[in-house]
Amino acid sequence: MDWLTEPFGSDLMQRALLEAVLAGALCGAVGVHVVLRRLSFFTMALTHATFPGVVIAALLGVSLFFGTAAFGVVVVLAVVVLSRRRGLDSSTATGVVLAGGFALGVVLISSQQGFTRDVTAFLVGSILTVEPGDVVVTAGATVVVIGLLVVLHKELVLAAFDPAAFEALGYPVVVLDIVLLLAIEITVVTSIPAMGTILAVALIVAPASAARLWTERVGTAMGLASGIGAACGVIGLWVSHRFDVAAGASIALVAAGAFALAWLTTPAIGLLHRLRRGATSDAPLSSEGQPVA
Amino acid sequence: MIDQLLVEPFRSPYMQRALIEAVLLGVFGGVLGVYVVLRRLAFISEALTHTVFPGIAVAFLLDASLYLGAFAAGALSAVLLTVLTLNRRVNDDAALAVLLTTFFSVGVVVVSRSTSFTADLTALLFGRILAISTGDIIQTAITMLVVLVVLALMHKELILRAFAPESARAMGYRTDVMDLALNLLITLFVVAAVKAVGTVLVIALVITPAATAQLLGRSIRSMMAISVVVGVLSGWIGLVLSYRASVDHDLRLASGATIVLIMTVLFVVAFAARKLLDLRRTRVGAG
Repeated sequence: MDWLTEPFGSDLMQRALLEAVLAGALCGAVGVHVVLRRLSFFTMALTHATFPGVVIAALLGVSLFFGTAAFGVVVVLAVVVLSRRRGLDSSTATGVVLAGGFALGVVLISSQQGFTRDVTAFLVGSILTVEPGDVVVTAGATVVVIGLLVVLHKELVLAAFDPAAFEALGYPVVVLDIVLLLAIEITVVTSIPAMGTILAVALIVAPASAARLWTERVGTAMGLASGIGAACGVIGLWVSHRFDVAAGASIALVAAGAFALAWLTTPAIGLLHRLRRGATSDAPLSSEGQPVA
Repeated sequence: MIDQLLVEPFRSPYMQRALIEAVLLGVFGGVLGVYVVLRRLAFISEALTHTVFPGIAVAFLLDASLYLGAFAAGALSAVLLTVLTLNRRVNDDAALAVLLTTFFSVGVVVVSRSTSFTADLTALLFGRILAISTGDIIQTAITMLVVLVVLALMHKELILRAFAPESARAMGYRTDVMDLALNLLITLFVVAAVKAVGTVLVIALVITPAATAQLLGRSIRSMMAISVVVGVLSGWIGLVLSYRASVDHDLRLASGATIVLIMTVLFVVAFAARKLLDLRRTRVGAG
């Protein structure tokens, strides 16, 4: 078992491990709501467009977490305002905000010399350099966001599946939307040290998609996705250390592997199931197992 | 004044080449973007800009042609994306995100094995429009010509597919083949533009001018004209701005990103103008 545990011997790696587990659990749980509401592209935009926040915070010498979080609020508002316009598709609006935000970050950085190393760390993550303070922030964010999702669970599920009923019952739709978007934003910002701005979306979407393939229940999916996310963090970190490749990318690839596995093994739509069923009949089956007429 | 804006920045050959490349990409992205925006393919375009990355990374390490590497990876992902979006049983939004990050991760893993990791990654991600060669310009021009000819030939069908997908299918058009064709055309644009502005910002050249045009245009023809004008104008202003900042104020601004910022500013101006016009119209209508 030595070859398995050896990579996690040092303090540095144990801290990275803790960060990866926490970020994985948080991303997995939030990811279920991202997947339910088809917010992957929005999440992607959030990871890219908060880039200027990183640069400004670094220039001012304030906490990077605070910088990205503050800029993320601007991004959320920009997407909400632009998407409300008739005739402008929300994915187009998201694309414009994504590119504009990232470009602002690049221009700011290019005006500062000798900044390249930090930039790369933020683009692809550098989990091995997390400070104890970062881990505490991640732990705090995980508790707050998951707590919020649990408390608002019923409302969030109803709003996701039946927004019209949710509104008819007199719930404030816009407030809930903004709360969810901010929860996603905090998750993105928290996972940047581990995953980097570009790959954070992998840890949010892939474990959640895998969990959704395995179970229909939203609550179960959230628990499952958290577990998968944390496992992806551990395995990815181990692979990264073992083969000396970037940690964020390794975690993203392991997460993609989990999704592929789920896709192959899902009851009802998985490839294995279809192959087995294909041998007997091509017709789709109803819930009682009878071919649909 | 005119000399400072038009002649002086473009005395040196590298600035002339950058301007030609920027104008070509402005026209190219402006026209292609109209189809992309009408079909609401912003996320697919974003995915394609990231999925060419492993191809570039491998070509970079092998010292092979970056264009070839980028196109190979891009074409593979275009096929996968088309298949994924045809299959309605998976949430295609999530599937796109997983595919995008997987391809990108492979690129990062490949690059992270190289010793000059940070420098290489920075160049690939941000692009270098000032280091464009005459050969690059010719490649961009040829790619643009091919894509524009294909778009012109498919124009009617693509518009029908965008506005009335059911009718297009009922009339016997192979919409899946058309989707694949459009995704491959976007890939060609990404491959042509990636060296100038880098993988992350290519999306802006396709989406932002066309989105501006969608706010202001009244027909597809006027949309296309506005989109091209915005693309070309941003290229020119962006280059002049980054040149003047560097010469007059000793401030370095990445040229590619400055061009994208100008595009974003033009979009915001168009958005505000549209909003004001609408407000006035409703007020007149109410009175």
